[in-house]
Amino acid sequence: MAEATRWGMVVDLDRCTGCQACVAACYAENNLPLNTEEMVVEDRAHNWIRIERYWEGEYPDIKARFLPVLCQHCANAPCEPVCPVYATYHNSEGLNVQVYNRCVGTRYCINNCPYHARFFNWWETPLPDPMPHYLNPDVTVRSKGITEKCTFCVQRIRRATRNAANEGGRQVADNEIQPACAQACPTNTIIFGNLANPNSTVSKLAKNERHYRLLEELGTEPGVIYLKKVDPHAKSTPERH
Amino acid sequence: MEITRRDFLKLMAGSAAGAVVFNGCNAPEREMLMQSPLLMPEDMVTGLDNYYASICRQCPAGCGIIVRVIEGKAKKIEGNPDYPVNQGKLCARGQAGTQVLYHPDRIRGPKRLVGARGSGQYEDITWEVATKELASRLTQFQGQASTVAIMTEPLTGHLATVVKKFASSYGAEHIVFDSLADTVERTVANRSFGQSTVPDLDIQNANYILSFGADFLGTWGSPVRYGKAYGEFRQGRTKRGTLVQVEPRFSTTAASADEWVPVSPGTEGILALSIAQVIISQGLGNSAAANTLTGGAGASRLNSFRPEDVSKLTGVSTDKIIEIAKAFATQKPSLAIAGSTAGAHSNGVFNTSAIYALNYLVGSVSSPGGLVFNPKAPLPELQVTATAAATFSDLERLAKRLLEGQPPVNLLMVHNVNPVHGLPSSLGIKTGLSKAGYIVSFSSFMDETTEMADLILPDHTYLESWGDDIPEPGVGYEIVGLQQPVVNPLYNTKAFPDALLAIAAQLGGKMRSDLPWGSYLDLIKQDAQKLFALNRGSVRAPGFDAFWVGVLQRGGWWDTNAKAPAGAAPQVPALPSSAVAPSFGGDQSAYPYNLIPFESISLSHGQGANVPWLQSMADPVTTMTWTTWVEVNPKTAEELKIVEGDVLIVESPNGAIRVPAYIHPAIPPKIVAIPMGQGHTAYGRYAAKRGQNVFSILSPVKDSETGALAWAATRVRLTKSDDKIKMPKIEGSVFAVEPPDVDIVGVTTG
Repeated sequence: MAEATRWGMVVDLDRCTGCQACVAACYAENNLPLNTEEMVVEDRAHNWIRIERYWEGEYPDIKARFLPVLCQHCANAPCEPVCPVYATYHNSEGLNVQVYNRCVGTRYCINNCPYHARFFNWWETPLPDPMPHYLNPDVTVRSKGITEKCTFCVQRIRRATRNAANEGGRQVADNEIQPACAQACPTNTIIFGNLANPNSTVSKLAKNERHYRLLEELGTEPGVIYLKKVDPHAKSTPERH
Repeated sequence: MEITRRDFLKLMAGSAAGAVVFNGCNAPEREMLMQSPLLMPEDMVTGLDNYYASICRQCPAGCGIIVRVIEGKAKKIEGNPDYPVNQGKLCARGQAGTQVLYHPDRIRGPKRLVGARGSGQYEDITWEVATKELASRLTQFQGQASTVAIMTEPLTGHLATVVKKFASSYGAEHIVFDSLADTVERTVANRSFGQSTVPDLDIQNANYILSFGADFLGTWGSPVRYGKAYGEFRQGRTKRGTLVQVEPRFSTTAASADEWVPVSPGTEGILALSIAQVIISQGLGNSAAANTLTGGAGASRLNSFRPEDVSKLTGVSTDKIIEIAKAFATQKPSLAIAGSTAGAHSNGVFNTSAIYALNYLVGSVSSPGGLVFNPKAPLPELQVTATAAATFSDLERLAKRLLEGQPPVNLLMVHNVNPVHGLPSSLGIKTGLSKAGYIVSFSSFMDETTEMADLILPDHTYLESWGDDIPEPGVGYEIVGLQQPVVNPLYNTKAFPDALLAIAAQLGGKMRSDLPWGSYLDLIKQDAQKLFALNRGSVRAPGFDAFWVGVLQRGGWWDTNAKAPAGAAPQVPALPSSAVAPSFGGDQSAYPYNLIPFESISLSHGQGANVPWLQSMADPVTTMTWTTWVEVNPKTAEELKIVEGDVLIVESPNGAIRVPAYIHPAIPPKIVAIPMGQGHTAYGRYAAKRGQNVFSILSPVKDSETGALAWAATRVRLTKSDDKIKMPKIEGSVFAVEPPDVDIVGVTTG
């Protein structure tokens, strides 16, 4: 009997330097289309993980805050019930899954995602030869007209699960699975694991006093837990603008 | 059982919905499971993955990589968890290596110019013809060998050996070119610490880091190595470290710092000496070091640097200077580092040495949480000696020589550098090159310098070639990285060192006997035998073959016990008693703004510009992609009546470029900043005709002691043009997600 699984992630903002290694790792692992300048200008660039930057204060007492945002794999995902063809659904491991060959491109899910974590393929974006050589064979290349988003690197989860099954049906070890972003992240900002296992690294980190979830008040129950940046100069009772 | 709406939808979506619904309340989950396309038999991936360890060459840091290869195609580059430099981590540029390997605009074989120089008309030739062609030129100029030059990037390992041997055997000049040469830092490492290599930083164990300009989390030194340590410095231990970033521009590192101290450009050294003055006068530091540093005079030697006297000049308040000095001296172990802009001024050596001297005051030289020195390479053959880059003064002389033809440059061989893009245009290097006798390029891409070549002998990319590396900054102990081909060469290219060996063989005589190896790999293996014979370190084996397999598997060899000898304390140089003021290109009244060019985290100073992933990756602070921008303070923008996207004419005494404005809330009002890397006229479809090259307008100001380019010492004026663009940036493309309980001022949307 496999242990109960709820894949989740902790993002420690006190470690994040905004360096974009996660973004590039995701491009490479998940066969993202090349974001041309036109796509960026039209706000249609695909970034399964992006690093938002916020300003706090005014010059010269100004601080930048980085916030990596990806699909939050919500337990109550607003994107799921609106899909008319069941292309987006919730699996038993807590993943919000996108089945590309069901998607008919209504974009209802994109409209309903409060985190803007879903992206529509407005164009066919062929790679010039010989660039297709680097495409990851584990990940479908999406075509025009369908929606895509972060999968928590489901192909890596599957590979680890398969390896564990082949090795005498053992459990997948804690930290055995690393999504591409977590693997690349120089500062170890991103930690991935099973939130249903109270002894996993990710579960322990999620209990840190700095924890919060994005737009928690919407009741989406995200599977991504953020740990607040530590600010030694912060006022004791921060006010919210 | 309660059927929720979701359950109901799930049920309805099943193909046999009715049957399932009425099958009982506990529908087996397999009925609900949607078959993922990943598990469909037709999509199952056949073939085995292979993982090869090698070395990243996307920047000089030399991280260890593991490349996933399936059926002969490189799929994904990861950090090598075993490799001491980066310990499994990898930056965006490292990840993008597959786009270099499989770039559509690679030069696919040797070429010879058939049209006029710069016309781009080449014919394909064979390697045999190409080698003969170059060999015959070299024979022709043998009597006047000093008119032949080889220009390369800073080299390490055996590549340095081959190039230096080739140059010295022939009598040619070897010019090491780097637009942002670390001449100043190297000079200070030597003078202040008696080191021939730059020190490593023990960030992980430091408690208080005072960084002057060094963008060590973005572009300076070994960012992945420092990033890994920084994560631990923040949250990997019981006490969280403090980072204070002192620099005129708000870099990626400043964005992560606990405090950013905007200092007037070029006064970093004065500020450091003021901090030293406070520490010494208040008796906070190591008194023996204070005594040596002041030549026995004590704080009185630094009387001209009292905080109240330098506050106005540096733009840092008296209280702030005292506060930093006290924190630095008491929150030990503390670490002071200088880099990037701090050394890129006319008083670069003065600034850098004053800053590094602070480490002596707090006992952070060669100690935990401080500067860590590196031992010599395990083999004398590998000792880094070739990296001393040509200074800007040297390059000025070269440009003059090319332009005047006196003495002539009959033959110039260029490898992996692009001086046409990477030097101020006032030098006239492009015109100069057009007058050179014959130019040979070994580049993999048609960059601006290769466009001037008469003969092109394209190199492999790093994922197709052998090599080795002594990383610098090092890791505090002996290490040799091994680079191996992870795929077969895609095209009719040849490794640069092998091309040189073939030419040497063709020339025969002394060249042949000085460079006797059959191939570059033979040379690497020959010295690997010596490493094997040491019988210590990370790989030990009963025989050489097993040893060789071992170093290939692990990506190199290192010995954690072989550290720099403790030895005698280096001669501590006395602190200067008077300030060296910076000088700038452009008069303040005519050119009111200081221009701070900065290295792009993705494109560096130009090499990454041909890689589409790196082009489309957001700059961390501005989130800009694909183009060049100029960072302008909101108040300055108000005065100039400009808004985001307005194209400004940024004009220095040495040229002007047209760049769109990014209104940047964290740049001082009298400073503007422009990223390096764009403005290519060639270099492939993703780089060409995009953005502007900030190098082109830099004034030829030099560090007064070393002659290095003071690239942060140019002044400019701004004029609004009639043009306006919509900025290609990520911010504003989605609404902002507000983290709770954090003061938010909002995202600049322009």
